[in-house]
Amino acid sequence: MGAAKRSRRWLVPVTAVAVVAGAGAFGPMVADASPDLPGISAQELLARVQTAKVDGLSGTVTSSTDLGLPALPGMGSEATQFLDLLTGDHTARVAFAGPDKARVSVLDDMAERVLTTDGKTAWIYDSAKREATKVALPAHPAKPELAPEKQAYDPQAAAKKFLAAIDPSTKVEVSGTEKVAGRDAYKLRLVPKTDKTTVGSVTLAVDSKTWVPLQVTVMPRTGKDPAVQLGFSAVSFDVPPASAFAFTPPKGVKVTEEKLPSKVLGKQTPPITPKPGAPKPAKPSGDGPTVIGQGWDSVVVLRGQAPAGNGTLDQLLAQAPTVQGSWGSGKIVTTKMVSALITTDGRIFAGLVTPETLQEAATKAPR
Amino acid sequence: MSLSETADRRDLGKVTDQNASRPTAGRHTIALFASELHLVFGRARTWVTLAVLAGVPMLVGVAIKLSGAEGGEGFIGQVAGNGFFLVVASLALSLPFFLPTAVTVVSGESLAGEASLGTLRTVLTAPAGRSRLLAAKMVALVVFCLVATMTIWLSGLIAGVVLFPIGDVVLLSGTTVSLADGLLRAFGIAILVALSLLGLAGIGLFVSSLTSTPLAAMAATFGAFIVFGILGAIPQIDEIHPWLLMYGWPSFADLLRDPPYWDAIIRNLLLQGGYLLVFYTAAWARLTSRDING
Repeated sequence: MGAAKRSRRWLVPVTAVAVVAGAGAFGPMVADASPDLPGISAQELLARVQTAKVDGLSGTVTSSTDLGLPALPGMGSEATQFLDLLTGDHTARVAFAGPDKARVSVLDDMAERVLTTDGKTAWIYDSAKREATKVALPAHPAKPELAPEKQAYDPQAAAKKFLAAIDPSTKVEVSGTEKVAGRDAYKLRLVPKTDKTTVGSVTLAVDSKTWVPLQVTVMPRTGKDPAVQLGFSAVSFDVPPASAFAFTPPKGVKVTEEKLPSKVLGKQTPPITPKPGAPKPAKPSGDGPTVIGQGWDSVVVLRGQAPAGNGTLDQLLAQAPTVQGSWGSGKIVTTKMVSALITTDGRIFAGLVTPETLQEAATKAPR
Repeated sequence: MSLSETADRRDLGKVTDQNASRPTAGRHTIALFASELHLVFGRARTWVTLAVLAGVPMLVGVAIKLSGAEGGEGFIGQVAGNGFFLVVASLALSLPFFLPTAVTVVSGESLAGEASLGTLRTVLTAPAGRSRLLAAKMVALVVFCLVATMTIWLSGLIAGVVLFPIGDVVLLSGTTVSLADGLLRAFGIAILVALSLLGLAGIGLFVSSLTSTPLAAMAATFGAFIVFGILGAIPQIDEIHPWLLMYGWPSFADLLRDPPYWDAIIRNLLLQGGYLLVFYTAAWARLTSRDING
C-alpha cells in the first residue's frame, strides 16, 4: 500500500505536464473567444472598411508567412533585404499619424531595423550593420512611397489590395466575429469562385469601432494552416506624438544620404501576393513582367530570366518535374500556395494558381 | 526490495511527518538552505566554473583590443566604441554554451553527487524532510544561476572600463540613453539570462534525482540540452520550435529596445517556468517515493 501511495506522487508531475501543455495550447483560444456584435451585411462592412479613416495609430504587428517556398540560403544580398519579411515570422512596431508620418521598427533577433518618416525626411536604420540612410523626400508627395516594409506592415494597405481584387469572381461574406489585439472585430471572408487558384480564402478581421482591418489571413485551398497571417497583436488608436517619428542618428553610426528614387524606395514588393514564383529575386533585366488573366487566376510572366546561378535553385529545379506542351517545355515548381513554370527559353510563369492554369497561360502567352 | 528496507522507509516517513509539524521547522529550513548554498559554493569546481565565466569578457575584450577591429555587426562590433557593450556581448556569448554547461554541471551534481558519496541517505533521514531538501537544492541552483550571470556582468563591466572608452549607450532602436540607464538594462539582462537557465536547471535536478552517478546526470542533462539544440535546428518541425527550451533565449536583447519589448521576454519566462514546474515536480515525485538506499 505504501508503494501505491508513493507511486501516486507521480500524478503531480503528470498533472503539471497537462496544465502546462493545456495552458500553452488552449490559453490563446480562450482569449480569442468570439465577441457578441450586432449583425452587419458584407456590403455594409465593405463600405465601412473602404471609408475607414484614422488620424493615427500605433501598435505591434506580427506576420507569419508560409507559402511553402523552400528556404533558399544565400539570399542575403541587398536586393532581398526586405524579401525575408515575406517568409517566416516577424514582429514589428508600427506607428502612423496622418497624413504622412510613419514609423516601422522590425524587431529582429538582437537587432532592429527602423524605418521612419516625418513627411519630409525618411530614415532607415539598421542596428546590426549600424548604418543609417537618410532620404530626402520630394516636397508634398501625393503619398510617400515607403519601402515595402511599410506596406507589408500596414494591414489597411494590405486589405485594400485585396478589396481591389474583389470582382464577380469572389464570394464575400461576414463569417462571424473574433477578438484581435483585444478589440472586437467582424470577420469578412472572401472566397474565390474559381478553382484555378491555390487561394482557399482571404479573411479580414475588421475592427467594429474604427472599421480598420486588424488582421489579414490567407488560407490555402488545401491544408489547415494559414499561408499568410498578418495583423496587430496590440493596437492603440491614439495619434502618436510627432516626436515618435523623429530620428537622430546615434554617434558612431555610418550615415549615407540618398535621394528619391533610390533603390530601396523604388522597389515595389507587393506584400501579400509576393512575386510568387520567383524563388530567385528577379532583377528587371529583360522586359518588365506582364500579367495574363485577371483576378485570382492571373499569372505573371517574366522574360529573359535564364535560371542560372544559385546552387540551391539548380538543385530545386533538378528535382522539379518537366512538363511539355504546345508552348515548349519547362520545369514546374509547385508549393501549397505558389506555382512557377520555368521554360527552357527563359520565361517564367508564376502565380497563386494551379500548375494546369500555368500551362494554359503559357499556351496563350505570346513568345 | 527487502523487508527491512521497507520497514526502514516506514520509520523514516513517520519521523519526517512528525518533524514537519514541529514549530522549529523554520529554523531547520534556514539551516538547510544555508547548508545547501555552502555545499554548492564550497566546491572548488564551482569557483573554477565562475572563474571561467569571469574570464569570458576579459578574453573577448583583450581579443578585440589586440585586433584593433572597429565596427562589425552586432553587440561585439560595438565593444571597441563603447566598453559597455562588452557586458552585453559577453552575456550573449556565454548564453549558448558556457552558462548551460555550468548549470548542467552544478545541477547534475546536486542530488546524484550526494547519492554517490552516500551522504544523501543521511540527508534523507534528517528531520528537514525530502520536499524541503529538494526546495533547498533548487534555491541553491537559482542562486548559482544568478551568481554566474552577475559574475559575467561585473567582469564585463570591469574589463570594459579598463580596455575601452565608455559612454552613453545606443539602443537597438537607435535612441541614445545614459550609461546608468544602460547598465541598469544590462543588469536586467543578467537577471533574465539567469532566469532563462532555470528550465535547464530543473531538467538537471530531475535527472540528478534518477541516478547516483553525478557524471551520468551531467552527461544526460547536457545530452538533453543538445537534443533541444538539434530539434531547434530542423526547419521541418518548426511547429514545435516555440516550445523548445531555448526558443526564447535571445529575447533578453528586447530590453535594449526603446521602449523594451516585453512580449517575448514574458513568453520566455513562462516557458522556463513551465519546464521548471514539470521537472521540479517530477524530481519531487522521484525523491519522495525513492528508496532510501537508491
